[in-house]
Amino acid sequence: ACKVRFPIAIDLQSSSIPIEQRASVAIRLETLLNVHGDASPYHYKVSPAADRSVPLTVILQLETDDGGSGLHYTLDSWSPTVTVTRGAVTPGDDDLLASQLHQLMQQIMVDEHASIALLLRDSPLHANFRDGSAFASEFESLQRRTTRAFKPAPSYHLTISLFSGGSAPSSWDIKTATEQYISPLLGALSSISNFTVDTQVQLHASISPAIAGPTFESATNTWTLLATDLSGFVNAAEWPLSPGIGSGSTINLILYIPHPRQMPLILYGGGNSWIVPQWGGVQIVNPPSNTTSHLSAADLESVMLTFADQLMSLLGVPDSPSSLALRIASLQRQRTISLVLSASSTLGALVRLTRKLQSIAIPKTVAHSVDLTISHLEQACTALSEGDYIAALSSAKVAEAEAEKAFFEPSMVGQVYFPEEHKFAVYVPLLGPMGVPLVMTLIKEVKGLVGRRKEKVKVG
Amino acid sequence: MHLATLLSLPASLALLSLSLASVSPHSYTEHLHLLPLPQSHLHAHFNFTATTPLSAYESSHFRYFPRSLAQILQHTRTKELHLRFTTGRWDDEAWGARPLEGTREGGTGVELWAWVDRGGSKTVAEERWSELVNSLSGLFCASLNFIDSTKTIRPVRTFEPEGDHGEQKGNLQLLHGMLPHEVVCTENLTPFLKLLPCKGKAGISTLLDGHKLFDAKWQSMAIDVRPVCEGKIGEECVLEIQQSVSMALSISRSMRDRHDPIPRPARIEDVECDESKPWNGHDTCFPKALTGEPAWTLSKVLGHAAKGACDLERDDQAFDVTLEVPSDRPVNATGASELTLPSTTRRHYRLSSSSSFDLSLPTQSSPISFIALSIPPLYATRQIAGHGQERGSMHTTLRNPHAHPLTLVYMETLPWYLRPYMHTLRLSNGKQEKMYYTPALDRERGTHLELVLTIPAQSTATLTYDFEKAVLRYTEYPPDANRGFDVAPAVIRVLASNASQDYAGSYVRTTSLLLSLPTPDFSMPYNVIILTSTVIALGFGSLFNLLTRSFVLAEEVPPSPLAGIVRRLQGLAQGMLGKKGGAAEAEKNSGTKEGKVTEISEPVEEETEGKANGIANGHADLRERKARETP
Repeated sequence: ACKVRFPIAIDLQSSSIPIEQRASVAIRLETLLNVHGDASPYHYKVSPAADRSVPLTVILQLETDDGGSGLHYTLDSWSPTVTVTRGAVTPGDDDLLASQLHQLMQQIMVDEHASIALLLRDSPLHANFRDGSAFASEFESLQRRTTRAFKPAPSYHLTISLFSGGSAPSSWDIKTATEQYISPLLGALSSISNFTVDTQVQLHASISPAIAGPTFESATNTWTLLATDLSGFVNAAEWPLSPGIGSGSTINLILYIPHPRQMPLILYGGGNSWIVPQWGGVQIVNPPSNTTSHLSAADLESVMLTFADQLMSLLGVPDSPSSLALRIASLQRQRTISLVLSASSTLGALVRLTRKLQSIAIPKTVAHSVDLTISHLEQACTALSEGDYIAALSSAKVAEAEAEKAFFEPSMVGQVYFPEEHKFAVYVPLLGPMGVPLVMTLIKEVKGLVGRRKEKVKVG
Repeated sequence: MHLATLLSLPASLALLSLSLASVSPHSYTEHLHLLPLPQSHLHAHFNFTATTPLSAYESSHFRYFPRSLAQILQHTRTKELHLRFTTGRWDDEAWGARPLEGTREGGTGVELWAWVDRGGSKTVAEERWSELVNSLSGLFCASLNFIDSTKTIRPVRTFEPEGDHGEQKGNLQLLHGMLPHEVVCTENLTPFLKLLPCKGKAGISTLLDGHKLFDAKWQSMAIDVRPVCEGKIGEECVLEIQQSVSMALSISRSMRDRHDPIPRPARIEDVECDESKPWNGHDTCFPKALTGEPAWTLSKVLGHAAKGACDLERDDQAFDVTLEVPSDRPVNATGASELTLPSTTRRHYRLSSSSSFDLSLPTQSSPISFIALSIPPLYATRQIAGHGQERGSMHTTLRNPHAHPLTLVYMETLPWYLRPYMHTLRLSNGKQEKMYYTPALDRERGTHLELVLTIPAQSTATLTYDFEKAVLRYTEYPPDANRGFDVAPAVIRVLASNASQDYAGSYVRTTSLLLSLPTPDFSMPYNVIILTSTVIALGFGSLFNLLTRSFVLAEEVPPSPLAGIVRRLQGLAQGMLGKKGGAAEAEKNSGTKEGKVTEISEPVEEETEGKANGIANGHADLRERKARETP
């Protein structure tokens, strides 16, 4: 059995506080953080100096300034460093500082704690941990986030499309724009999934006829789309949004430029973009001039930033803390645990299926896949408890893929649906005529038996 | 003379695409060529060409090049692709040579050939080809996925790559497949239009209407993707996609009222009679042969008027529509500016971006002088001969109408269930120079036959061979098995020879054939099951009865209750009849009857006893019964 453990290594670094004092703060902080013991999946290890026994997770950089004893912190977006600024630390402050840092860490980790509690809630693993109801208030928003996000997959295909209602603009400087705004993000996310990107320009794209369509507001001289129209805005029948051909889901990011006739097109209640859950994001932009034929990289800046934001929510990256590195690390842990859970439940379903249908033949490949799944699940579990989250995630991905492969083995699926009626149709013409004399004789014999009994009774 | 006209059409199109390709690597042009044909037909050729720089293609940034097709090509490493959807037959006796020398048309149904990166081994190319046909099948809503190993061949001489592949060329594998059974229709046109930048919403693509296109006598939709490196040295190569639709419409048929689409015979008042015929009278009318051409407008013939231009960075000198009619014929064009080029028979139009474009031509009653029709490179027909369900023979007639010999490649793809006897292959009046032959393997591979032939000047050559029809397995027949099986058309490519360079590279395709195979009665398996079961059951029943029944004499059988009822009914009926005849007689009858019954019942018991005693030793059952009866 796998015991879910997330070791979190915290380095307490400071140039102004001596190492002895840091050590004492570290011990206190560790005690405070691990207050729940084994009932929490998290195990914090705080060290006053660089300790590399477990892979590093968070760096707490302590700085002192002239302010009071209040504590404020900043997060670095590309590295897991939290810079904490506080007034001068006196030797007696250890307890206060430790409790302040504890609060800070809780603030940073609250989202992740809640997400993990939600993931474990419905699994057999939850019995090992303390009740997650402490986070119940956040479950609803977290669940919304999960339903919005794509299912975890080892690779995603990203399609960025420009749809013009008319014939202009017909070109955009997308190469520069993606290199500038999207590629760095995808680089940071590469530890979670692989991404391939393609872009396209589509002209004469009309809004889906299924919706009531934008209405003209003569007061403001604008065209308005209602919130109810947004779900049917994408014209799936006409817009060439065929999914990517390789493995993995396709995430569609669409920039829509309305037809000059329908400009400016705005959303009722403000905003210009929305997310279609598990499909992609759409945004509407009204260019300053009707005849703009080219969108430069500068024009695309705000568009690309919105796309980046949409992409994050579509992948289920947590909204907080504000540091991207910490959010991705948190997503890594969530992904690993959800993949492990889903692989195990698939395996469980397969076992139930084979128990139910005793006659089903299990091909060698399925057995092999099951073996692989189990070994990778074990590897993922070990890697998790060692804090090697990258290795854990990659093992979990393999386990999930193999489990799915085993479950959806085509030769087994075919066997499940073998029709019994066919055998029936073939044997009835044989068994029917053969059965008739048998049944008739049986009836006769039974009658004869009954008759003889009666006679015996009479004679007796 | 005819050579000039023949070459001028493709040359003008090639020139157009070339001149624009060098302006910008991302480019898009479209062009419609209209040419009235004899017997009041109209040939319309739509061409849409888009290009993308190879670097943008490789980094997946698409502008005019369709992304949906590009990602299939990237995934399957296809370097050059040719896809054709064709219906109908080009009548080359009446209409002359095929448009663009037959290079942009396919055989009836679907035809696909592509150069795929073979990646070092043979199986890789096959896997990629299989992925390619499956993906294209989804993209174009066609049954392309049925092009499996039995329908795939690797032609040697018939096709040459059109693109510039550089050093890669040696590592490419050509694969070719045909589906003659496929019915091309609107569901294939819609995805075809979706690949265009203007999607049938602006420009000449608005003229493409499924109702008219698939009602044409002949139509061919083509998609050709190839890399082009025709720019200056150092300039980037581009990937070009040419989408073209070529069709031959009957003007009178297309001009039919849209609200009354059912073809009906013309009313007798509307038919012009040929009064020169001797049998012409007040009650007989022989319709006059059409000499001129009825009045037509583009919007009626093609179903729509063009809705403005597809205005994408057009060259100022570019024109969208070319009409080829004698210079003395009046033409009325709206919504376009006419461009005059130093050519007498061609009129060029440039569509305006806002108004809709239409052309109208008045009736031409006099026998008009058509643009001199070009003579096709050769006339080819192919038939299946023979009778019976076991054997047949294939006859191909190739007629060379020119004053010089023709060298050509003749290619056939035969399904495996048609087994040719190659020793019976005969060519009359021609010379067979080379033969490439891959024999069929049952259920794995079809026959691939390529012949290099030379046909002497002004003569007809006949190619024949016999074949045997295979008997298929029960499950291999399609639901409409009695319709027959389609055999793919033969593809003929004219080669350059010492005698003449004319027509080199032009293609001619024969029509597809229908092969009827021995077809079983499909209820047979069930009939066999039923019959066998009945025989077994019969045998079983008699054996079972022999073993279990007791055999007694007829007299031993106790009177069955049914017999009593029958007898009583008989009595009643007789009584009724008797009453009619007379009461006395009836009484007498009933009396005798009762007496008889009693009389019979007594001796039966006696006799039974006597006989039973006789048999008793041999039959246990009877002995038992006897014992019971005499307690």
